[in-house]
Parts: sequence; C-alpha cells; structure tokens
Amino acid sequence: MDEKIGVFICTGYGIAEALDIDALCNVATGEFSVPFCKAVESCEGSGLEAIQDDITKEGLTKVVIAGISPRRYVDGLFPDNVIVEKVGLREHVVWCLPPNDEDTQMMAEDYLRMYITKVQKMHHVEPFQPEQTVDKGILVVGGGIAGMTAALEAAKTGYEVRLVEKADKLGGWLAKQHKSIPTKPPYRDLEDTGIETLMAEVEANPRIHVYTSAITSEIVGAPGLFDVTLVSSGNGKPAGELEGQFRVGAIIQATGWKPKEPRDSLPYGKLENVIRNVELEEMVKEHGRITRPSDGKEVKSIAFIQCGGSKEKEHHSYCSSICCLTSLKQALYLREHDDKSKAYIFYEFMRTPGKYEDFYRRAQEDQGIFLTRGEVAEVTPGNDGRLSIVAQNTMIGKQIQVDVDLVVLAAGMVPNAADGEAIRVLEDAKRTVAEGDSEAKKQEAAETVETLKQHEGSEILNLNYRQGPDLPSLEYGFPDSHFICFPYESRRTGIYPTGATRQPMDGKASREDAGGAALKAIQCVEMTSRGEAVHPRAGDRSYPDFFLQRCTKCKRCTEECPFGVLNEDEQGTPLLQATRCRRCGVCLGACPERIVSFKDYSVEIVGSMIKAVDVPDEFEEKPRILVLACENDAFPALDLVGQHRLQVNAYIRVIPLRCLGSINTVWVTDAMSTGFDGVILLGCKYGDDYQCHFIKGSELAATREKNVREKLEQMAMDLERVELHEIQISDYEKLPKIFEDFAELIEEIGMNPFKGM
Amino acid sequence: METAEATAPEDTKTMGNDPPEAHLAKAGNGKPVHIEPDLDFIRAISVQGAESYKKCFQCGTCAATCPLSPESHPFPRKEMAWAAWGMRDRLLRDPDVWLCHQCNDCSTRCPRGGRPGEVLAAIRRESVLHYATPRFLARLMNQQKHIPLRLGIPVVLLGLALLLKDSIGNALGFSAPTGEEIVYSYSPMFPHWLLNTFFGLFGLFALVAIVVGVVRFWRALSTGDAWWGGTAPKKGVGPSIVATLKKIITHDNFTKCRARNSRAVAHFLLLFGFVALTAVTLWVITGRINPLIRTEFVYPFSFWSPWKILANIGGVAVLSGCILMIWERLTDRPNAGYSLFFDWAFLWTLFAVVFTGFVTEAMHYLRMVPHRHVAYFVHLVFVFSLLIYLPYSKFAHVFYRFAAMVFAERIGRESNGAGPSQGTGGV
Repeated sequence: MDEKIGVFICTGYGIAEALDIDALCNVATGEFSVPFCKAVESCEGSGLEAIQDDITKEGLTKVVIAGISPRRYVDGLFPDNVIVEKVGLREHVVWCLPPNDEDTQMMAEDYLRMYITKVQKMHHVEPFQPEQTVDKGILVVGGGIAGMTAALEAAKTGYEVRLVEKADKLGGWLAKQHKSIPTKPPYRDLEDTGIETLMAEVEANPRIHVYTSAITSEIVGAPGLFDVTLVSSGNGKPAGELEGQFRVGAIIQATGWKPKEPRDSLPYGKLENVIRNVELEEMVKEHGRITRPSDGKEVKSIAFIQCGGSKEKEHHSYCSSICCLTSLKQALYLREHDDKSKAYIFYEFMRTPGKYEDFYRRAQEDQGIFLTRGEVAEVTPGNDGRLSIVAQNTMIGKQIQVDVDLVVLAAGMVPNAADGEAIRVLEDAKRTVAEGDSEAKKQEAAETVETLKQHEGSEILNLNYRQGPDLPSLEYGFPDSHFICFPYESRRTGIYPTGATRQPMDGKASREDAGGAALKAIQCVEMTSRGEAVHPRAGDRSYPDFFLQRCTKCKRCTEECPFGVLNEDEQGTPLLQATRCRRCGVCLGACPERIVSFKDYSVEIVGSMIKAVDVPDEFEEKPRILVLACENDAFPALDLVGQHRLQVNAYIRVIPLRCLGSINTVWVTDAMSTGFDGVILLGCKYGDDYQCHFIKGSELAATREKNVREKLEQMAMDLERVELHEIQISDYEKLPKIFEDFAELIEEIGMNPFKGM
Repeated sequence: METAEATAPEDTKTMGNDPPEAHLAKAGNGKPVHIEPDLDFIRAISVQGAESYKKCFQCGTCAATCPLSPESHPFPRKEMAWAAWGMRDRLLRDPDVWLCHQCNDCSTRCPRGGRPGEVLAAIRRESVLHYATPRFLARLMNQQKHIPLRLGIPVVLLGLALLLKDSIGNALGFSAPTGEEIVYSYSPMFPHWLLNTFFGLFGLFALVAIVVGVVRFWRALSTGDAWWGGTAPKKGVGPSIVATLKKIITHDNFTKCRARNSRAVAHFLLLFGFVALTAVTLWVITGRINPLIRTEFVYPFSFWSPWKILANIGGVAVLSGCILMIWERLTDRPNAGYSLFFDWAFLWTLFAVVFTGFVTEAMHYLRMVPHRHVAYFVHLVFVFSLLIYLPYSKFAHVFYRFAAMVFAERIGRESNGAGPSQGTGGV
C-alpha cells in the first residue's frame, strides 16, 4: 500500500502569533519532503471537518496535526485505516514558552520532526482476531448475593451466564441470615434478606445455567476464549466428577468471604458459650431463639466483642465495615425477643458507615442495649454457666465487669480468594527444593516454602496462567487491582472480582457492586470480540508481536507482564494470549533483545523520534533534555502546565509513553548518541499506594532506571544524566521546577561529550 | 495567654481519654466495678425529653459547656454514661446530679439530642422518690392519674376536721367565738386552734419525713465509692453551710446559665417571696407562744399592717415567679426543658396556694363573707397539699439540693466559676 503523509499546522489559538508557520511547513515539505502540508485555522469544529475532507480528498494515509493537545480529541474522528498523530503545539509549546523566540520555534520544529518520523515508522494496526470464535458468555463463580445479582444483571442484558456454586444450593451467607440490617430509610427496622426472591429469580431465568456443588477445576485460555472445566465439589456427590465443560468470554469472581478466626486471647473454642457472630446468626435462623450452647438455656444477656480478633495489627489489621452493624442487629434480635434482656457491646471504634448511623442511633435508643468503647481484658466462666467479662478503659470506668449468658465475637471478613502469585512462587520453590542445582538455592527455596505454605491448596479459579492459578492479591489478600481508581479490575484481564471478595461489604453494597462487575464483564466480551483492549487503553486495537526467532527465553517478559498475558512453553518461550493484553508495553521495555513491538508503538518508533530531534552543536550552548513521560498522569500534567501558562525550560523534548514501564534502556543510549544531555523519566507513584494504571509499570521503570545507569557507566557518562520522578496529575505545578533544576544540573556537569559525533 | 487560660479548664472537661472513673482503679481496691444495669431505672429516666438520652456517645460537649461543672470529673458527661448503663446506685449517691440547675446549656448543645439537663432532672426526681419515707406515698403522688387522690386527701382530711370541730372543741374546752368577731373573722368557720393543730401535726409529719429522707441521702453520699477521689472532707460542715447559703442567696449558680437565664429572676422571686410568706405565717401562728411576740393577734390583719404588707409583697413575688416559670415552660420547651408531672404538680400547687390566697383576701376586703369561706377552704386545701407532699414532691429539692450542695462544698467540688468561653479561640 502506498503511503501518503500529510501535515496540518494550526494557525489559530495564538499559534501563528508565536511561531513562524512557514518555517514549520518548510520542515515538513523541505526536510521530510512530505507531499502535503497545509496551514489550517483550527483543528476543531469546521477546521476539523476541513482536515477530514482533505484526508479523504488527498488520499492521505498518515497524518500529523500540529495544533491542540492530543488529549483534546475524541475517538473515532478519523477512518480506521488512517494513522493520525497529534502534536500539542498549543499546550506544550505556545502556552508555556515566550512567543517568537528562537528556542520556542526550535521546539515546535523538533516536535514536527519527531511526529513526522513517528508516522513514517508506524504501521497500520490490524485488530487481533483469534482463530477460534470469541464467546460472549459470562461465568460467575460464587452463588451468594453478589454472584446471583451479577448473573441476573448480565442475563437481563442478554448474555448467557453460567453460575457456579460450591455449596449444594445458592444463597451464600445471606441465606444463613435471620434478618438483614435496614437497607432503606429510615434505616431503623430489620428487614427480610430477600435472598429467596433473588434465588427464585436466578433459577427461573432461562439465560442463567446454575451449577451447584461444583467448582472450577481448570480455566484455560483468555478473555473471549476461556475454556472452563467444572467438577463436583463433593457436596452431596462424589468429589471430582466432571460437571461441565464450556467456553465463556469473561469471568466474575464472587466467591465471598469467610469469618476470621478470633484472636488467641479470647477463649473461642475453649468456652462453649463463646461463639462468633456467624454462629449466632445461624442459631437464630434455625431455631428462632437464642440459647446457650452449653445447656440450651434461654439467653438473657449477651456481650458482643467487636473486632473479635481483628484490629490487632499482627492479627487482622483492617476494618470489615459490617461487624458493628451485625452486632447491633443481633442485639436487637435478643431485645425484640425479650424486653428484660440485656445486650452489651464493647467496641474499639463503632463504625456504621453512611446512613447506617441512623440504625446505630436506633440501637442506642434501645433501653437494654449497652454500648461502650473498651478493650475486653478477659472472659472467664462465672456462676451457673454464665460468663464474666472484664473490660478496660471503657467510657464508664477504667475496669468494669459484667456477667452474661453468652459472648459473641464479631468476626471480621476474610476474602475467599487465593493469592495466585504466591501459589505460583510456592510451586516454583517446591520444585527447586526437589530438583535444585545448588544447596544454597535449595535452602532459600525451603524458606520460601515455609513462609508461603498457607497458600497450599487454596486455589479457587485454577487458571492455567504462567503467573499462577488465581488472581494476584494486593494488601490484605483482596484481589482487586486498584480499588480507588478502577474498581472491579483485577490483574487478570476479563476476570472481575466483586462483592466481599473484593472489599468487605454488606449485602446491599454487594448488589450494587455486582451490577458494576456485570457491566465490566459485558464490556470485556464485547471489546474482545472486536479485537479491542479493555481498560485502561479501552478501544486500542494494537497488540504486541513477538519475533520469536530471536527470543533467548530469558522469561523477563513472562515474569514482568503485570497482567499475566504470557504463558510459557516447556523451554520458556513466551506464548502470547493476545486477548489478555492491556497494551501497556511493559514487555517491550522488558525485552533485552528488543523482539517485542506493536504496530504503532515499538522500540524503533520511539528511538526514531529521539533521533529525529535536531540537536544543536556544543558551541551553541543549547542543551537538549529528553523527557519520557507516562501518558496517563505525567503527560496530562504537562497539558495542565500549558493551560495554567506556567513557563517551562525551552530545551526539553517530551515523548509520551504508554507506561513508563515500557521504557527500553536502548532509548537512553539513543538519546545520548543523538546528543541529548540528559533524560528525565516521569512516571506514576509506585509502592503500596501506587497510582500506575498498569500496576507495576512505574515500579519496573525504577528498576530499569538502574539498568540505564549501568548503561551510562559503560558509556563513561555521568549517572546524574538520568532522573526519575513520580508525578501525579495534580503535581503539574512541580514540573517547571523539575525541568529547571535538571537544566541547571546539566549546566554544572557540562554538555554531553558525544554531541555532534 | 488569655485564650489559653480561658480554655484550659475546658480541655480538662472534654478530655476524652479520662473516663469518668479513671481514678477508681487507683483509689479503689483495683477490682473491676461490677455492673448490672437496672432496666427499670433506665425506663424511669427515659421520660419525655430524656427519652433518647442513650444516644450519648460521650463527646463531652455537655460537660465542657456547663458553667457549673467542676474541673475534675465534670458533670453531666459521666452521669450520661452511668444513666445509659442503668447504674442506679451510683446515680442516687451522686452529689453532682444536684449541682445542676437545669439551665439546659448542655441540652441545647448536645450533638446527639441527648438532653443531659433533662436526664439529670429525671434522675433528681428518681432520687426524691427513692429517699422519700414512706416510699409508696411518693410513687402514688407523682402520677398524673392520681390527681384526684392528691387533691382528695386534703379535702377529706380538712373537711373532716371542720365537721368535727365543735365536738373536738367542746371536748378540749375551746369556746366558740361570738359577736363582732364573727363578722370579721374566719374563726367560727376555721377556728385557729384547729388550724394550728391540724397543720402543725401534719407539718411535723412532713418535716420528719423529709429529715429522714435527707439523712438517708447524706449517708448515701458519704458511703459511696467516692469517685471524686477525695476521702477526707476539705471543709467543715459549718463553713460549707455558710458557703452554700451564700450561693443560694445570691443565686450565684443560676445567673451563670445562658440558655435559660431568665429563670434566675423567676427563681429569685419565687424563693424570696416564699421565704417572706413562710416567715409571716410562722410569725403569726406562733404568736401566742413566741417569746418575741407573746400577744394574741387579732385576725385578720388590716391591709396596712406591716405583716400584711410583707405577706402581700411575698405573695406577688411568688405569683410572678410562678407565672414566669410556667410561661417559660409552656412556650420555650427546648430551652426550658420538658416538664414532668413532678415539675408541674409543684409549680401549679405553689401557684394555686398564692392565687387562692389573694382571691380570699380580695373577697375579704370586698366583704363577700360566704364566698370568702369557700375560697379560704380551697386555699387551705392547697396549702395543706403543699405541706404534706413536701417530702414526695419537687418541693423536696429545697432540702436535697441544699444537702448535696453542702456535701459538694465539703468535698471540694466547686465549679470553676469561669463558665465556658464564649468563642472557640485557643482550639
């Protein structure tokens, strides 16, 4: 196909007043011999229409529009078969540099060179189409409130749903509850759980295929192509019998939660009349009344101990958000049954989020419910089978003692999730222990086995992924990938955790949550069927190509991919599962052989952009600083710099990257040999509270920075010439100073000695 | 500096990490305090106005805002917690409950709508009922449905006495009055010897009952677990009484209240009006045996008699005090607080006493002889109920509050006197 490149240069927005447009056109038509270059008044509205017309009329296949920031355009403005790159002359040049200045003009011309080079090197993207047909069905694992709601929501939208439940019937925890906390105003009265209605609805829905007493023994494949094998869970049937095999497009993991084992200092399991909230709930559900496990006597008083085993940092360090509400509810069970009864609640913090405060007040008003902050110091047997509680630092005294019939521990929620990564590491370590080649390695592996042994046999989904059989988890074992920015997202494309397995939540919240997860799954199957990426590069149709002939099987890509896209064959060759890919390009940055490339994003494309910059020689005293900026936070921050008319150093040249994790060290070498004097890397915040869209990208960039420094050392360059900064979008004000400081540093250490070579 | 000084006491009051009984472990035997909440007591406190007091979450705003609360173990925060946990015994032995003058500064500021002022009022009512002798009488008299009984008892007793006055009089050798006296005097209808004996006997009964109650109260205060930390009294009883009297006479505590400061005026009028009336009454009825008088008065006094003038002034003071209070309680409930039957019964009885007194007096001067006898009878009924129900009505607060204030003075629980700072400076 013959390519025809066209360049449009906007004269509006004050660009023509600040820059020499003719000179810019000369760069395109002169230096690059671009056949079509046109100055247009605007690149929005009618101006944009004129550009669109010209593209069709002139038969342009690759276009550069130099005008407003690329982030000002919406998707779908140009035909799929035309490559269009946008240069933000307005935000990144005119708005943050003095007008009609030599350096300003140089920057604009350089950007034009970089982007013309970029489109020259870019290839047209062909969306990924798997050989087999993409299935749009959805698998929901877990038949509790979240799972059933997700199944029903997806089915109502028209998708075929397979709902798998390990127990012999649907319902989950909610089916074991006597009553639910109030879910609607005035948030005062206990309600029926409504779970039976939901169960009936699910069972009656023709699009939902329910498998009870079943578990997923294996899931092979990728979004759109998940091949699922179900076997019997052993509830009522022999375990392991084949229950079904089918293909689905996306998976919702609604496996719920389990109660936390109480801390050792409480005599749970030692004294019969010390039980957990879940056991009390089942007792009331089953018998309609509360009796002492020891002798079956009617209970007249209960002490609820909140955070019963949670909250001690070394034991369980997060709040499950519903145990306080559950205890208030259970106190009302007792009180509603018997007006003379007493319920004591000892808490560290009473947490009744949002409107549930009204329910808390309602319980407080009850004359027989006694609440106090305090630590329960001991629970000891008293007279006639009663228990004596001593609490410290309460609101009514330093040390108080009450006698009760029953002690109920408010057990926290632990997600029913397996840590896929840990399981994989454990397997690897066990293999090393068995067949390792050195004693030291065996020893090290044995220690790993010891620390991770609690993950043994914890598999839930049984994914056939190189990085482990389940979703990787973050803090506290929840498999969510970023609960603030991207709820429901996990680090496995097409698998969406929801309900209490994602975050501690109550039934009402689970219902809402499940709706969200269903939408995510639907989005996934739809986009996958069109060969498009899902969140966060939604709609991106590129995908990585591996030039396997040159692969050294170093496994860096298979290990570093944040989303477990790559499986491995026996030798360690990466096997691409393209529909798992989020197109971050981390693999491209990982590969030392540079065999990974996207049609529109590759080592070569970025390298050529770097080399396209016209670097003045040493004597002009105009240094050049390459800025490789993450396009998710740092690049938008640069837009804000322009919008706020902050002035920046004129020597910087910015290239946006899909993720700073995709940085390949060769780009730094390229920059140095081109004559750049330094490189600034702008990535997102990393660590526990990371803000990286691709989870590990900015962290990987930090490791790569080390490699970069090694490279610099090899080149006998000053290590200071490369700097990494973590930038949030709100940090835009810091950017001018970062650039200025770095320019000063370059002035101190002097120009790049390779300049002009 | 000024701000720091002004807020320092408040800091102490609002300090969340100092539980009301923090010292107990130190001062006491180190054993935990055993608590068995008294559900009946909680029900008794959860009366109108205080029905939602259990919503208290111990923020301490009440104690910080209270102008009367002492710096250490301030009230009413701790009382709110004790009340929520039905700690009846402790509250009945708590002098702080009586240091509160229910100005409702706390109630209007409570972020949970807990109305601490009204909670303390309800606890005081429970205290009166608890220490009353005999107790059943107190329970009986403090129910709205028993109003007929409450009024019926004086009517019947007084009626009986009047019916039988001749036979008793003859038996005791009192002569019936004659001639001029009959026109101007009430004596034929209400012989003095009869009234004096009748009121004297029942007054004595009431006095004994209230003294027994106060003594029991004082003992309870002294034998509690002394949560305030002190064991040895800081002042003698004498100086404590003097200091307390001074406070009462000046209405020092009342004037610190803000939400309801008009109450100081009303109470001042009421108290001193009542003192004047009592003084005149005692002066007059003891005329014959009083060594200072030793003369028989000729009743009724003329309008310009100094006694009459004092009595009329006192009557007007009490009446206006009553009207002020009743008006306030009816029209400004949030600030005045919700009034219980306990409060209304006392207030209206007092009002009725003075009002019927004035009606009788007016009829007397208008020479409405037969009518004035009826009015006088009604007046006597109210005077009688005021007197005999003293130990069982809010009237008893005079004694219990006095005792508690003396006790507080003795153990050094004085208010800081500064009152809460007006601004939020220094936070």
